[in-house]
This record gives sequence, structure tokens and C-alpha cells, in this order.
Amino acid sequence: MSDPQADIENKLAALREAYGPRFGAAETEQQLRDENAKILGKKGELTAILKEMGKVPGEARKAIGEKTNALKQEVEKAFEVALTALHRAAREADLKGRPFDLTLPGRPPVGPGHKHPISMVREELIGIFRTLGFGVHDGREVELEENNFGKLGFPPDHPATDMQDSFWTTSGHVLRTHTSNIQVRAMMGHKAPMAFIAPGAVYRRDDDATHSPMFHQLEAFLIDEGVSMAHLRGVLRAFAERFFGPGTPVRLRPSYFPFVEPGAEVDFGCTFCTQPDGTRAGCTICKHTGWIEVLGCGMIHPVVFESCGIDPEKYTGFALGMGLDRLAMLRYDIPHLRLMFENDPRFLAQF
Amino acid sequence: MKASYRWLRSLVPQLTAPPEELAQRLTGAGLEVEAVHRYGVGAAACLVAKVVSTRPHPTKSGLKLVTVDRGAAATQELVCGAPNVPEPGGLVVLAPLGAYLPAKNMTIEKRAIAGVESEGMLCSEAELGLSDDGDGILVLPAGTASPGAPFVAAVPEAEDHIFDINLTPNRPDCLGHVGIAREIAALYSYPWAPPTPKVATLSGTTIESLGVSVRIDEASRCPHYGAAAAEGVQVKASPLWLRYRLASLGVRPISNIVDITNLVMLEFGHPMHAFDLDRLERGAQGSALIAVRVAKEGETLVTLDGVERTLAADDLVIADGHKAIALAGVMGGKGSEIHEGTTRIVFECAYFEPRTVRRTARRHALHTDASHRFERGVDPSDIEAVLASAAAWTAKLAHAQIAAGTLHAQGNVRFPKTIRLRAPRLRALLGVDVPWSEALDILVRLGNKLVSSTAATAELEPPPHRPDLTREVDLIEEVLRVRGIDNVPEILPAIHPTPDSGGDEVFRERVRAAAVAAGLSEAIVLGMTSPAALAKVKADPPTVLLKNPLAEHQGAMRTSLLPGLLESVSQARRREQPDARLFAMGPVFLATAEGLPTEPLVLTAVLSGTASFRAYLSKAEPIDVWDAKGAAEALLLNLTGQKPTLERGDLPPQVHPRGGAWLLVGGKRVGYMGPLHPDVVDAFDLGAHPVMIVSLDLEALRVIGRAAPKFQAIPKFPANARDISLVVKDVVPAGDVQDALKNAAGPLAEDVELFDRFTGGSTPKDHVNLAFRVRYRAADRTLTDAEVDAFHEKARAAVELRFGAQLRT
Repeated sequence: MSDPQADIENKLAALREAYGPRFGAAETEQQLRDENAKILGKKGELTAILKEMGKVPGEARKAIGEKTNALKQEVEKAFEVALTALHRAAREADLKGRPFDLTLPGRPPVGPGHKHPISMVREELIGIFRTLGFGVHDGREVELEENNFGKLGFPPDHPATDMQDSFWTTSGHVLRTHTSNIQVRAMMGHKAPMAFIAPGAVYRRDDDATHSPMFHQLEAFLIDEGVSMAHLRGVLRAFAERFFGPGTPVRLRPSYFPFVEPGAEVDFGCTFCTQPDGTRAGCTICKHTGWIEVLGCGMIHPVVFESCGIDPEKYTGFALGMGLDRLAMLRYDIPHLRLMFENDPRFLAQF
Repeated sequence: MKASYRWLRSLVPQLTAPPEELAQRLTGAGLEVEAVHRYGVGAAACLVAKVVSTRPHPTKSGLKLVTVDRGAAATQELVCGAPNVPEPGGLVVLAPLGAYLPAKNMTIEKRAIAGVESEGMLCSEAELGLSDDGDGILVLPAGTASPGAPFVAAVPEAEDHIFDINLTPNRPDCLGHVGIAREIAALYSYPWAPPTPKVATLSGTTIESLGVSVRIDEASRCPHYGAAAAEGVQVKASPLWLRYRLASLGVRPISNIVDITNLVMLEFGHPMHAFDLDRLERGAQGSALIAVRVAKEGETLVTLDGVERTLAADDLVIADGHKAIALAGVMGGKGSEIHEGTTRIVFECAYFEPRTVRRTARRHALHTDASHRFERGVDPSDIEAVLASAAAWTAKLAHAQIAAGTLHAQGNVRFPKTIRLRAPRLRALLGVDVPWSEALDILVRLGNKLVSSTAATAELEPPPHRPDLTREVDLIEEVLRVRGIDNVPEILPAIHPTPDSGGDEVFRERVRAAAVAAGLSEAIVLGMTSPAALAKVKADPPTVLLKNPLAEHQGAMRTSLLPGLLESVSQARRREQPDARLFAMGPVFLATAEGLPTEPLVLTAVLSGTASFRAYLSKAEPIDVWDAKGAAEALLLNLTGQKPTLERGDLPPQVHPRGGAWLLVGGKRVGYMGPLHPDVVDAFDLGAHPVMIVSLDLEALRVIGRAAPKFQAIPKFPANARDISLVVKDVVPAGDVQDALKNAAGPLAEDVELFDRFTGGSTPKDHVNLAFRVRYRAADRTLTDAEVDAFHEKARAAVELRFGAQLRT
């Protein structure tokens, strides 16, 4: 009768010699896995050896057990190495393989895709303001501090800047917190009179259920001789009629933005709960007030004109700014801001 | 800012408007009332009751049966579980049957508690909605009221309407009730007189004799420092009315002295501070007890919140003879805090320069009621009144003796400048005729001093509590605000049509429309991403980095739209939406050596999943590189009017080297397309379905533009088409065969189209069957079959010669 201990040790030694070449011979992942199963699987060779352990006398069993386990770990590690090597080789072969025949004709797209709701509202608003006589002014998103704040009359170290908590780059530039930077750029680059709109992405350090650190605004401003608050109200009326529908009530509340004075926030009558007789019943969208806060506006502050080289005694003007994301949510009944930035295909396909 | 309706009415006795109406008027004048809350509303139904006797509950050990006198000699027995039921004679608050307690949404009903009927409840402050103290019932001080009196008659402050006002930063004057009351008086044209507290001072003791002295070292940062002092102070809890007033305005009551400083701040909007005089240390002979100076760099101060703060040389502090004792205008110090044993105090009321306070508050990440007010600018003229008010309350509530006199140290005091208002300018800016006298009346009601006036101009001196009034336009806004914006007419201006400046938006609209027509849906991806995400897509590392990102994964401005798009694809797959054909358009951000970064516009598209839009009879195939080619061709044809050519070699790292290609228009690279590189696929764990990308350099395409299409004559004569089915080796590019056919078929071959391609079946191994249709046409005649056969044979022979192509038999 053979010595079970020596027998096991012999088998272990044989396996230790064999596993390397066997793994090395595998050409595909499947072959490698099969080989691995032959050693470590339920009916594998090493498993079979473990089953013989019972025959070994107690005092030697521990030492043999440790040896067996060490080999098991060795094999497992070797398998991982071999698998990675196979993958790498497969990747290399794939990258170096025969090129696809790109001279074959492209397959034409079948149906159209969809614009993002924010873009749809952006294009609609631009259309409205174009018919009123406004042109579109290009913008940029990383901006000089003075164009975003200083020239717009934000005093340094002033709480007004808390209203717009901003991102700064390591070069000392600011991610524009509003599209109002375009007022400054337009005034520096054009002679009055002018009437521009400027849509685009803006950034503020807010990220929660109702705020995204990047969102979108549209700015509109008119600078000419004799522009008054009455003209601002006229444009707001025209905008409300064209965007929300004829007869939409418009309400201005005095408010404060450093770059306009007088400044106001503008509410439009809630179109979601307007009854056939024109009254508004109140709903969750308007928080039961009958009014929806949509934009901020005002007469351009003389300090802005002065910092941009326009004579505030000769010219006056108004500016207004609105959130495109919010308008898109109102327009299309979108309940959560988050939906706008997730790009779920089922969301996009609805517009 | 929270404001008490009850308090405002006591300051403006003429006010009759109910809370909701007042809220609307304030909102209409620019003080936006966001909500009106009711405070302690449950107290209204409750009565003061006197404990007559108590006995234990027959079965439950934690409960008592309390007999109370509820007035008119009526008594009743109730079950009460509170640990603090007072001795007989003590006053408590009884919620009788039917009383509704909104704080607990509970109506008192007759019910049995552990077998004993109880008709009513003795209430805690929490149950009454007065504070969050629910540990025991409210026990009223002796003599508060007779049993049976309504509780709110005994303590009126237990019921109120609280306005939540969203104040804009230009209106520090309304950060106190006096300021809001002054505004209300102006809005309703009521007479206005500020409160004038009277202080009875102790004869003989002066503030100087208590050893208080003040020195200002930073004259420009502290224009005015006022101090008052008291001795014999008894520090204890404040009376109920004061506790409820503070609690209703969101301030936690602490002790009478601290509560007084808060009450006075809420009254005047002017923060103040109380120091324990005996905890201030005197310095060298002749030096002041209190100095206003800047901190020594590295000096430390433990503030009232228990945090040890290392100060900067720019921080303004209040110091005694040895050390800093307060961060000026921000927070007091722990070392000189009022405590139970305090008997002598110094009150501080100062005007600190707003920017100084703001810098210090931000530096130490502290935003306090005090810094909030000082940053916006407190009223520099009310210091005497604030100190007097605090002293008067201290005498009354802390039984203290007030030292005669107040100390005032002056720094650089600024005097208001007069402002000229012109009637024509008023009209021009508002677009409405405001009667001149009405305009001036409004401004005077708001506290402006009319220095002089003519029919067309006026000189006005703004009041010290309105630091926001510095120019003519500020006064014009005041007139508009008080009169109401609704009085301005709506006039649509005739705007001279303005051409676009730059033209970017028109271009973007064109690209967007082209992408949508090419079957792509528009995604919006964030401008910021992370260096790691950009590395994962093998994009250029970011060069525009954020100094203060919200999160690490948003630390840099993107150099590629791919990370955002691939994230969207990945998320869609997690939601079991494997099919996504998305594009994003926007700038990438590239730093320049000096100045602002460039922001070139880029379009990137991702096509993934199955090409599920195919006809219903064919089975859904995974999207492949020819779908990407089709989308790229459609996009570029739409944008430039030209079909792009593809070029291999030297590919961008984002695409698979076997399937990627540059896209060229007019010989210029305008983008690339191909399967996503497998390393990127792995990095985003997108291996389950194929992913193709198309990326366009929109700046190059903007330059190329799109020429207007030029009319080509419509053919008058019919075409003659011939099909040719060829078997070629599968390494031969189909396009080469196509081009060879076209070239060999001669100038009358109008068009060669590949209409079928297959392998297997009878096709030999490593070969492919390609079927082309060649259309022949002459512009001036109908071609005969014989002519066409000759051309076609030439074409066949050419491809046989060049590619060994055999006709399929």
C-alpha cells in the first residue's frame, strides 16, 4: 500500500509542473476556462487531491493542506494572468485586424431625431424677439470678471454677488453666471442704438433637485434714445401674448439686480389653471398664487452705460433675462429639472 | 427676514390692513412677502387655569389627576402626564374641549386615559405651537392672569402673523421692524415717528466711572462706536412675551440680556453686543478698555460658537487691553460672554464698514444675523436710540442700574450727499407723467430731506438708513416703487431691425436641424467634467480648471463632449434603453497662453444599440459603422452641400483603428467617425451593445459654409440601366470596384449603385458577391441597347482585369 502522504505530494508536484504549460497552450478564453475547470472545478484534479486528504494521518494533514491551498492560489493567480494575456492578445488582434470596408455605402438614417426641449424654447423665443426687431449677439461662457460682474455694477465684496455664487477658473476667469455679460460685450463692440438678444449656457454653484450647476438663459436688451419703462412693459406684453397666448396677464414687482434700475421681477398669469372665464383657479405649478415667476428685468443702470462708454444722459435702455430651462418646463409640462439633463431617450423622443 | 404683524402694528398704530393685504402691498413695493405664517395659533382657544389639587392616577403610576380652577368658580379634573405639574395655586394653560391645536393637529375631545375620563388638556409650549419645548406643561408666572382669562389676553405675543420677507440686498433698512414700519407708513401715507426709548439712569454712576473707555484705531473701518453700561444686572430667563416674540421670529431665547440684544436688533435692524464688563482686562496705564483694531496675524479668538479662530491681519476685532474679545460685526468672543453670574455689562452698538465685515465673515465662513446686517449697511444714525432701548429694557427686565451717559468714539464719518432729481428725467425713464409734487411727496415720506426745489428740479438728501440711495435713478425707482409699476403704460417700441452680431445662433440652428434630420436626438451635457473622465475617452487633458468645483467629477471644463454623452448612454442602458442615437453640440474649452480660453464649437454624436428603425420585415441588426457613415454623410451633405470623403490612417484615439475614418469635405478634415475604441468601451463598461461615434469640427464647417445649390438641367431622355453581379475576393473594397466600373463604363455612365452584397451560398470562400446597377444616359438622345451593351462590357472587362472579378453565374 502506498503512503497516502507521499502519493498526494507527488500528485501536487506533478500538477505544479503541468498547469503552466497547460494554460499557456490555451488559444481561446473557452479553452483556458476549460483547462482551469479541469484543475480547480468540482471534478478537477486538485479537488480530487483534496478529497484524498482524509487518508493522511492527522499530524501531517495540516502541512499537506497548506501546500495544497498554496498550489490552489498559485493556479488561480496563473489563470487570471493567462486570461488577461489572452484578452490583451485578442484586443491586439482585433485592433490590428483587417479594416472594415468603409467604401461600402453608408446606411441612410431612417427617421428624424428630436430637438431638446430647451433648444425648442430657445428657437421659439429667438423667433419672437426677431419679429420685434432684435438681433442675436454671440456669447462666450468663460468670461472676464469685469464683464460678468464689474462693468455690470456689482460692487466688490458686496452681498449682491451672493445672489450668484460663481465658479472660478484657476486662471482667475469666471464661468458666466448670467447671459448679461453680453450686454457688456455688445456695448463695447457696437454703437448705440442696438437691440440684441443673447441665449446660452450659464453656471452657478448650485446643485440640488431644482438647480443644475449649468443652466440656460436668454437676455434681451434695447438701447436707444428715449427708451422708457413703458417700452419695457410693451415688450413684455408682446412676449407674453406670443409665448403664453393672447390676454396673458403680466405683473411686475419691483426688485433688485445691480445692473438695472428700476428693476423688477415679472410674473405671468398661470396658463395651467386659467379657466374659460379668464380667472385662475390656482394649481401646483403656480403654487396656488395664479402667477408664475418667469423673468427679471429693468432699466439698464447708468453705471453700466458709464463703464461701457455710452453716455447715459443721451441713451437709455432696458434689459430682461429669463431662464430657458424653466420656460421649457412650463411649455412642455416637465415636472423636474433633472429630466432635462439626463438625456433619457424616452424623454427626448417626446419633443 | 421674518416680521411680526403684531409688532408692526404697535409701531404704526394707524395700520388697519389685514395681514394678507399688507403682504400684497409690501410685495408690490419690492419687499417680496413669500409667505405669511400663523404663530401660536393654538393658544387662542386656551385658558389660564389654576391648579387646585392633585392626586395620583388610580392605576397608572406616571399619571396624575389634576383639579384646576378654570374661572367663574368652575373646577374640573383632568388627567395629566407631565412631570412638572405645579403645587396648588400654580397657573397653567388649559385647552378645553373642542380646542384645536394646530401644532399637533389635534382637537381636544373627551376621552378616557387609563380608565379615567378627561375633558381637556394641560398644554406644553410645543402643543401650543410656541416653541419646541414639549418636556413638560407650560407653567405661568404667578400673577400672569386670573383663572379663566384667555391665554392670549394674558400674553398677546403668543399669537401672531409672521411675514417671511425675501429682502433684496439693497434694503438693509428693512432688516428691522422699525424700518419695515417706516416703509409701511410711507406706503400708506401714515404719519411716522421712530420709537424714542427713555432711560432712567442711576445718579452718581457714569459709564466713565465704571472704567469704560473706547479707542478706534481703524477710523475708516469703524466710523462710529457707541457703548453703554449697567451694573447690578440679574441674568435670568426672559418673560414669556419676550420669549414668544423671539421664538416667533426664529430666534432662540437664551437669557434676558442676550434676548434684549436680539430684540433690539430685530427692532432697529442694528446688531449690538453685550460684554461682561468684569471679564474685560485692562491694559497698560492710560490705554482704553475697549479698542477697535485689526487683528495681529495669527492672533486667536474663541468665538461664541466655541470655535477657536486664527485671525488674519485684515480682520477687524474688538479688543480689551490684552486680547481680541470679538470679531467686529460678526460674532462675540466666548471669554467675555454674558453668563449666569454676570453683574456688570457693556453694550456695544457700532457702525462697521460693510466690506470689512463681509471679508471677515467670508474668511471665517460665518454668516450671522449681525454680519448679514453690517454687510448690507446699518443705519449709522440710530446708535444712540439703540443703546437707549437696550438700556431701558435692561433696567426693566434685569433690574439693573444704568450708568449715566453713553460713550461714542468717532472714526471717519461719511455725510450723505444731496442728489439732484430732474422732472424731465423722471418722465423720460418711466414713460409716464408723475405729478412733480406727488413724486417729491413720496420721496419725503421715505425719509429724504427736500433741500430745495423748483418746478423742474429738486435737491434731496437721502436718509442715513438708505445707503442704497446715491444717484438720481435711485430716487426715480423709489417713486415708481411706491406709486406702483402698474401705473406705467405698455408701449411697444418701434425697434429698428438689428442684424445679428456674429451669426453663431443661426449656424447652431442649422447644425441642430441637420443633426435631427440625420436621425439624432439632442442631448445636453454639462460644461464641466473631470480630467479622469476625459482620460477615459482619450481626449486631450483639460486646460481650463475650476478653482472651486462643486465636486471632483466636475473639476474641469470639457475638451470633449464624449464623456457626457457616454454617461447618458450608460444611464439609458441601466434603464433598459439600449437604443440611443444622441448628439450634443457645444463649445469645448481650450486655454490660451494669455487671456480667455477659446471656445470652439463641436458636435459629437453617439449611435448605440440596434438599428431598430429598419423595416418591420427585416430583423433588428446591431448598429454598425455603416450606420455611422450614413449619419455622417447625411449631416455633412446637409451642412455643406457636399458628400464627405473618408480617409484612413493617423486616426484620433477615440475610434477603433479598423473602422475609424476621418471625414473630409473639399479635401479638409472636418471630423471623424467610427466604432468607439474598445478601450473606451471598456472604460465606460459599454460592451453589451456596439457604440459608434461621429464628431464634427463645427468651426471648420462654419468656414466652409454651404453654397447655394446650382440648378442642373433635368434629363430629357430616358436612362438605360444594366445590373452586374460580380464575385470578388473579400479583401477588395467594394468602393474600388464601384469606382472602376464607373470609370470604365465611360462618360455616359451616370451613376453606379451597389444594391446587394452577400457571402456564403455558392460564393467561394474568402469571396463576396457584389451587385451593382449602372445607369447610362446621354443628354441629347436615347441610347440604344447596343451602345449600352458595349459600354457595359468595357466596364465588366475592366473590373475583371483589375480585381479578377467574375460574373456571377
